[in-house]
Amino acid sequence: MARLTALLLPLLLLLAGCSGRQSALGPGGADAQVLAVLFFVMLGGAVVLWLFMNGLFYWATRRSPSAHSEKGSFLLIVIGGILFPTVVLAALLSYGLAILPDQRAPGDGLTVAVRGEQWWWRVEYWPEGAEAPIRTANEIRLPVGARTEFRLDSHRVIHSFWVPALGGKMDMFPGRETRMSLEPVRPGLYRGQCAEFCGESHAWMAFEVEAMEPAAFDAWLAHEASDARPPEGAEAQRGAALFAAQGCGACHAVRGTEAVGQVGPDLTHVGSRHSLGAGRLGMAQEDLMRWIRDPAAFKPGAEMPAYDHLSEAQLSDLATYLRGLQ
Amino acid sequence: MTDDATDDAPRHQEEQKAFAEEADSLLAITIAPLIWCAHFLVCYCGVAIYCAKWQQAFSLGVLRAGLIGATVLALAGIALIGWFAFRRWDVRTSGDWVHERGISEDRHRFLGHAAFLLALISFIAVCYVTLPLIFIGSCA
Repeated sequence: MARLTALLLPLLLLLAGCSGRQSALGPGGADAQVLAVLFFVMLGGAVVLWLFMNGLFYWATRRSPSAHSEKGSFLLIVIGGILFPTVVLAALLSYGLAILPDQRAPGDGLTVAVRGEQWWWRVEYWPEGAEAPIRTANEIRLPVGARTEFRLDSHRVIHSFWVPALGGKMDMFPGRETRMSLEPVRPGLYRGQCAEFCGESHAWMAFEVEAMEPAAFDAWLAHEASDARPPEGAEAQRGAALFAAQGCGACHAVRGTEAVGQVGPDLTHVGSRHSLGAGRLGMAQEDLMRWIRDPAAFKPGAEMPAYDHLSEAQLSDLATYLRGLQ
Repeated sequence: MTDDATDDAPRHQEEQKAFAEEADSLLAITIAPLIWCAHFLVCYCGVAIYCAKWQQAFSLGVLRAGLIGATVLALAGIALIGWFAFRRWDVRTSGDWVHERGISEDRHRFLGHAAFLLALISFIAVCYVTLPLIFIGSCA
């Protein structure tokens, strides 16, 4: 019994890894559902083949260990070694190729342009007919039940855009645009991750994806297009003044203020995001303070300098201001 | 085989002549894989160049039809070579699968056998290369 438990426990732990918001086996998108079915078909086929081959091996070595007739062996080689794999592989290849075009299907209207940076995501929403994009960063929201097209590229190095629970992955290249599309079917919060090694903080290059009901999405997008709300309360106002005085606006944009930098992520509605530093930290007061004090402590190689000369009170004011940017 | 003065001499010379002929079929066994190779390159490069440069010039359907035509030609060529090789192998009349004697007749049959198997695998490979052409109808 103890041995059985020792055997089963790691297996169950492994199985627990199959669910969750970053799992291709817990699909929340139409493409991921197709890929999950493909995976289980392959897994089922592999299990059947494995059992069959080992059964055959057992039979040939233990049950009937005598020489087989030449003709029988010949038929076994021709059928089992040539005919069977040729037909099975052709069927699998056809199946795989048949579902491939759907993963590249054109979108229903909304296009999201994502550019990979080291190590964060520059995001632009282009609603149908839009002449200028709605800029944001490090988080993507999508309407459920509609296919959204992605235009992907990269600033300096190759990244890969992947939201396992929603669909397949696509590489992002500097100077070359790639396309894919995603269609969430279940509202929820998913996690995306850069899937191509892109430098020291590659593993920390993630993002949140929220799939929303269409009406909620439209309202959110309209709000996202608006300018930042002015700081409310003394703390937030002190924070806004610090933001300007410390030169944060040289790298970060907060629309509606003098901060128009394009080097780092757009912070116009940073307080409404689910994560900070591209999936690195939460959006709590303490998270923002720790991040501003020393970003490289959380994201090695990050270009943002440490603001460890600021007092706790100043960091807190800044964090209050940023959290208020809803 | 240094004893040219013996009775074996004429037969030995004959074998040498026959072996010289086999040099040609040694090259011949590569033809089916070469057809596969050429077909693969034409398909792969054709679609890649089309999608990069020629999308405005004509529709992908034209290219697909052309490449599927090339597939039919390639399969016909490989089938023909396979048929010749099968006849050279001559397994139905001789019943010989192993070709273990070091004589020209066995070399002849062995090369037929090898060429047949290579034609078979080339035929399957050409079919696999063509599958994406049938299932994927765009450059996206």
